[in-house]
Amino acid sequence: MTGLRALGLAAVLAALLLPAGAPAYLVTFSLQLFMYVVLAGSWNIVSGFTGYTSFGHVAFFGIGAYTAAILITRLGMAWPLAALAGGAMALVLGLPVGAICLRLKGPYFAIAMLGFAESLRLLATLWTSLTKGGTGITLPPIQTLVPTYYAMLACVAAVVGVNYRIATSSFGLRLLSIREDERGAEAIGINTTRHKIAAFALSTIFPGIVGGLYAQYISYVDPSSIFLTLITVQTIIMTILGGAGTVLGPVLGATTISVVQEVLWARFPHIHQGLLGVLIIGVILFLPGGVVEVFKEWRLLPRVRSI
Amino acid sequence: MLDPALLLQTALSGILLGAVYALLAGGLNLVFGVMRIINVAHADLMMLGAYNTFWLFSLAGVNPLLGLLAGLPVMFALGWVLQRFLVSRVVRSSELTSLLLTFGISIVLVNLALYLWTGDYRSVAYLSGSVVVGGMALSKVRLLGFAVALAITTAVFLFLRWNPWGRAIRATAQHPDLALACGIDVDRVRLGTFGLAAALAGAAGSLISMMYSIYPEMGAFFLLKAFAIIILGGRGSFPGAFIGAVILGLIESFAALWTTATHAEAAAYVMLILMLLLKPSGLLGEEE
Amino acid sequence: MGMVARSRMGLGRLAAAGAVVLAMGVLGLGAPRDAAAQQKTPIKVGASLSLTGQLSRSGVEQEHGYKLWEQEVNARGGLLGRPVELVLYDDKSDPATGAKLYEKLITVDKVDLLEGPYSSPVTKAASAITEKYRFPMLSTGGSARDIFERGFRYIFQVATPSEYYMVGAVEIGAKHGAKTMVVVSENTVFTQECAKGAQEHGKKLGIQTLHYEEYSRGVTDLAPLILKSKQLKPDMFIACTYGPEAILFTRQMKDLDFSPKLFGFSVGVALPDYAKGLGQDAEAVFGSSQWEPGARLPGAKEFAEKFRKAFNFEPSYHAAQGYVGGLLMEKAVNETKSLDKEKIRDYLAKLDTVTLYGRYKVNDKGLQIGKPAYLIQVQDGRRAIVWPDDAAEAKYIYPFPGWKK
Repeated sequence: MTGLRALGLAAVLAALLLPAGAPAYLVTFSLQLFMYVVLAGSWNIVSGFTGYTSFGHVAFFGIGAYTAAILITRLGMAWPLAALAGGAMALVLGLPVGAICLRLKGPYFAIAMLGFAESLRLLATLWTSLTKGGTGITLPPIQTLVPTYYAMLACVAAVVGVNYRIATSSFGLRLLSIREDERGAEAIGINTTRHKIAAFALSTIFPGIVGGLYAQYISYVDPSSIFLTLITVQTIIMTILGGAGTVLGPVLGATTISVVQEVLWARFPHIHQGLLGVLIIGVILFLPGGVVEVFKEWRLLPRVRSI
Repeated sequence: MLDPALLLQTALSGILLGAVYALLAGGLNLVFGVMRIINVAHADLMMLGAYNTFWLFSLAGVNPLLGLLAGLPVMFALGWVLQRFLVSRVVRSSELTSLLLTFGISIVLVNLALYLWTGDYRSVAYLSGSVVVGGMALSKVRLLGFAVALAITTAVFLFLRWNPWGRAIRATAQHPDLALACGIDVDRVRLGTFGLAAALAGAAGSLISMMYSIYPEMGAFFLLKAFAIIILGGRGSFPGAFIGAVILGLIESFAALWTTATHAEAAAYVMLILMLLLKPSGLLGEEE
Repeated sequence: MGMVARSRMGLGRLAAAGAVVLAMGVLGLGAPRDAAAQQKTPIKVGASLSLTGQLSRSGVEQEHGYKLWEQEVNARGGLLGRPVELVLYDDKSDPATGAKLYEKLITVDKVDLLEGPYSSPVTKAASAITEKYRFPMLSTGGSARDIFERGFRYIFQVATPSEYYMVGAVEIGAKHGAKTMVVVSENTVFTQECAKGAQEHGKKLGIQTLHYEEYSRGVTDLAPLILKSKQLKPDMFIACTYGPEAILFTRQMKDLDFSPKLFGFSVGVALPDYAKGLGQDAEAVFGSSQWEPGARLPGAKEFAEKFRKAFNFEPSYHAAQGYVGGLLMEKAVNETKSLDKEKIRDYLAKLDTVTLYGRYKVNDKGLQIGKPAYLIQVQDGRRAIVWPDDAAEAKYIYPFPGWKK
């Protein structure tokens, strides 16, 4: 569908050229939007494709943020490197946790991951020699957002690329089969454990990196603001709303929610959250598969796995 | 730190609190079992029950225990309505869909409460002080909470065991299709279950209103505890939730005594993760 | 209904929905708030506050303070002959949202003046933005010292820094020969600083800290902590808390019959919710307050009156903080006769004045050094300032008379 391709290309160009012409606020808005696209997209890799709903996604974001904050303030590391280190750390810590927790099914996995995230929050509070505890770590403020913007954009490209590769590969099909019927998948010989762990591992890296970028952007990390369950909740809402297990789902979901929130809180400063809740309920009832699925059903999007 | 009186007092403190948690977790467990849904809005139903009791108490001087009783049908009806018009639509959908729905409901309930009643901290100053038994001070209000929670939990347990409707609920939880084949009106059972869970959450809220500050976002902290308890006690087991709750209370209390209050919070999560690794179905849960 | 027919109908529905969202997006995204048609262009004063989220209790009150000031300054003829218009957003008590909103206020809404958000983490994030744009801002709701340790030039503190909140209690204890204290605190930045300040002040006055412990927000049982403290038999018990925990501590201290000669809480006692919720259990409890309606400060009573009339409830210090933020900004604009950011910045940096809220004077880092944190005590169900002496409305009750049955 060339129309769709053109639209996509236009979006990519707009994103690349944004900082050049757009007002500063739009850059900030887009930066935070990209961050959520990455969070949603990475949550999608594990929870969207395998159906293993994780309630602890913010754990990797927080690991990345703290790793980068510590490296930048203690070792004077350059922020791009620190952010990558954040991603690596998230993978290193996440892998064993995932390997253990993925043995659990459904809600148990969700709660175990939540427990992991909360434990990290408490660890960050208690390990004061490393993290300065509740006081938090203050980083030197940055002068310009543009490099961070492009770094976030690069992460978006990476995460969408990974989702695309998964969605169009047999690996992805196997993940989906785990979501649909895990026992059946095992019965036909798929090593579900290895697949789940692989997806999980992939999903930890990107939140770690954007967590590191975020720390530098906001220039202050403390346990309660970083390991915030609300971040996980928003990520989940965005992904499911957009369409879990699809490539564009997290992107559309994050964009929709961000834009809607922007509009709502400008007009209705006191009740915007409540309106968001009503909107979510409405979407669930009328567009239950998520926006992408519905678009596909109504033939607005091609019914291919690559989208 | 090994003073027996102190240890006993700490243990009792944990147990008393556990019963109230159990009431909250019990309802959540029922919904898990019957509808395979993680109801993230459960603790917000608790919050509504707390406000219900508070307003009756402060505007009309109604005894909070009566307020609790009055709240039961109200909360049951609310749960029934939520199930009938919202949750039932997604019961057969994926786990993710129902999860998102309950997130939406939670956000609406919290913000509705914020809008209607503001964020002021309320409390029901009904009972304070303690009874002194053998040199230990036992908080009156927590004793009351324990007794009421135990009574309600026992009643529900008996209901589930002996009453035809209760058995229908258990049957549906075990195997919905088979239950349907046996002639059980599964949709009706779901309505009743959600209603019952809401009523239990409301009751827990009424008890909690006497012990803690009430405000719209109060549910968040209790929801985490309820989750942990279900893991500890076991999915699908109503008495398991009670035992899990008491164990959690004990762990928290002793950890707080021997380390610090912050460590105590972590202890609960560590126990949770250990339980998940060693016996994922929980203490009294059935293996999948 | 056939698939095709359903698709078409669905398409129609979707197109309608899409058009609505698109319209909302175009109109709403990045759009500045509408200014009502005015004779003269209004002066826009922007702020983001915790209107929802865990800290909304205080955020909403601060908002009322801002709004009352807006009404009054317009009744006085506005600023520089122009009406004043508040542009307020909700940051959900989230620092990242706060930072984003302040950027929006500055670059999209193009506000002329800024007021601060509520809570230290949000203030920290927001001030990084205002510093970048060299936009002076009064921190009406952030009291953590490290907000002002970054060498920023455009942030000025109105409230007393957190480390002084409980100093009054320590002073009174020392005066009566207290030698030991137990200090507890929530494990977040504001309360930790408050606790550190109390302990250090105690050390200066010869009071030893027997035990210091931290707890997490949302804690459900403080009994082990209280039992441990009780065993140590301290002369004083200082708890650096927020509202709900102050209430829980009081209740459980009564349950466990822990009644040191002096005890107090950092946040919570100053809220009407405290005395209302605890009834007579609140009697003789000390607390910290940035301001009280009965304070012996010029204009305090009048402000409380006006606030009560306008909003139908009793103001606590969060409201006064917001209101005074407006007053101080008004003064800066009127004295410099401009909206020039550098002039206002320089004025606020040098200003030394007394308002209904207390003295305002900042050091070269923007930290408030002129205003004390008052110590209040609940007496006969009402809050009274009992320290320092020159601000006291009533004599303090010491020692704690014990829990009533």
